[in-house]
Amino acid sequence: MSDPSLGLVMLSLIVVAIMMGYPTAFTLMGLGMVFGYIAFWVPGAHWYDNRVFDLIAQRTYGVMTNDTLLSVPLFVFMGYIMERAALVDRMFHSVQLAFRRVPASLAVTTLLVCAFWGIASGIVGAVVVLMGVIALRPMLKAGYDIKLASGAITAGGTLGILIPPSVMLIVYAAVAGQSIVKLYAAAMLPGFFLTFLYLVYILGWAIINPKIAPKLPPDQVSP
Amino acid sequence: MIASRLLRTVDQISYWSGKTFAWLILALTFVVSIEVFKRYILNAPTAWIFDLNNMLYGTLFMMCGAYTLAQAGHVRADFVYIYMKPRGQASLDLILYFLFFIPCMLGLIYAGGGYAADSWRIHEHSTVTAEGPPVYHFKTVIPVAGALVMLQGLAEIVRCLVCLRTGAWPPRLEDVEEIDVIDTQLGHSQYVDEESRRAAMEGAKAIDEAARHRSVMEEGVVHEQAIRDDEKRP
Repeated sequence: MSDPSLGLVMLSLIVVAIMMGYPTAFTLMGLGMVFGYIAFWVPGAHWYDNRVFDLIAQRTYGVMTNDTLLSVPLFVFMGYIMERAALVDRMFHSVQLAFRRVPASLAVTTLLVCAFWGIASGIVGAVVVLMGVIALRPMLKAGYDIKLASGAITAGGTLGILIPPSVMLIVYAAVAGQSIVKLYAAAMLPGFFLTFLYLVYILGWAIINPKIAPKLPPDQVSP
Repeated sequence: MIASRLLRTVDQISYWSGKTFAWLILALTFVVSIEVFKRYILNAPTAWIFDLNNMLYGTLFMMCGAYTLAQAGHVRADFVYIYMKPRGQASLDLILYFLFFIPCMLGLIYAGGGYAADSWRIHEHSTVTAEGPPVYHFKTVIPVAGALVMLQGLAEIVRCLVCLRTGAWPPRLEDVEEIDVIDTQLGHSQYVDEESRRAAMEGAKAIDEAARHRSVMEEGVVHEQAIRDDEKRP
């Protein structure tokens, strides 16, 4: 089998193998190893004398000394410390107080808190679950439309991977060989613009159809 | 009985190694912060810090692989996998452990061993700067990490066999979970009332449990339950 066809077979097998649900790391590594071994096979050489072994060690070392990926554990660590700091419910409360006169104030608050967490942590983690816990129940109790309530939480929760600093962009930069700073600069506007558009959408919907987001009674501004 | 004791021992080795090396993240944080301060504020950079950063990160990254495997934390594309019964999952895993895992880990140990031995032989130093720090101990991490992952992988194979026999996945060691954040965050909350706090924690546990066992959630839509409870009350 020629090298290009071997590559194509491997590529299609990768898709199939990943779909099966085995850990992706070992799937890729195993397939690379098997196909590399076949591709570098030299007739007459010892079975243990194959160039694929050199490649494994070199690529592993290459990833271990990748100074772009170095920032991923640091970012994850920062996000965890932020998560463990137990700030979300107090923050939700204070932002809600600030926005209590705005239509659909709870949904707006949810979105703003999520956007802030996107800036602060850069990972989508337990905070989305937590927002669901803290925000969904008050919203449903206040008589919000369930589509609006759940949509605000899930849409807000995914902002974290777009708004810099985001771990996704670091990994992309490392794989594609691009500059992280440029990628962050490029993601800055779309991230905040998307937040802005979500806000416009929620506010517009709530103004056109006030039934979906009833105003909170004045004595019950806290969740 | 022997199988469960074996699983426990190997799990503990992986946990221990992962947790020990996880402390490197703290060292990495301090090294980076101090170096940035020195470099950009005091204008007094240190040349070998770049290599040190790489070593801290690389060691952290490699040595926590076994821990991740013990926690079943490696990323899976599980949209077919979650609909299988535990026996089906175990047989698929078992086949692929032999097909993919064992060859690539043996390859990593063998190749990494030779690579590290070469490095020890020539007392290799880093070439990033003129007088770089030695890197042979850093390269030794590759075969060591490979061996740890291999050990945990063998334990996972035993786990698959136990699951094939009994029809249920053997338990893993307890550990902190990401979802504990909910408890931490809501534990001292002043604005979330007692009942929704409890419902939230239980719901989060249910979601996490389903994700951990790679199974489809049958119930546990907590908020609907909570709202129904609210409605029942006068």
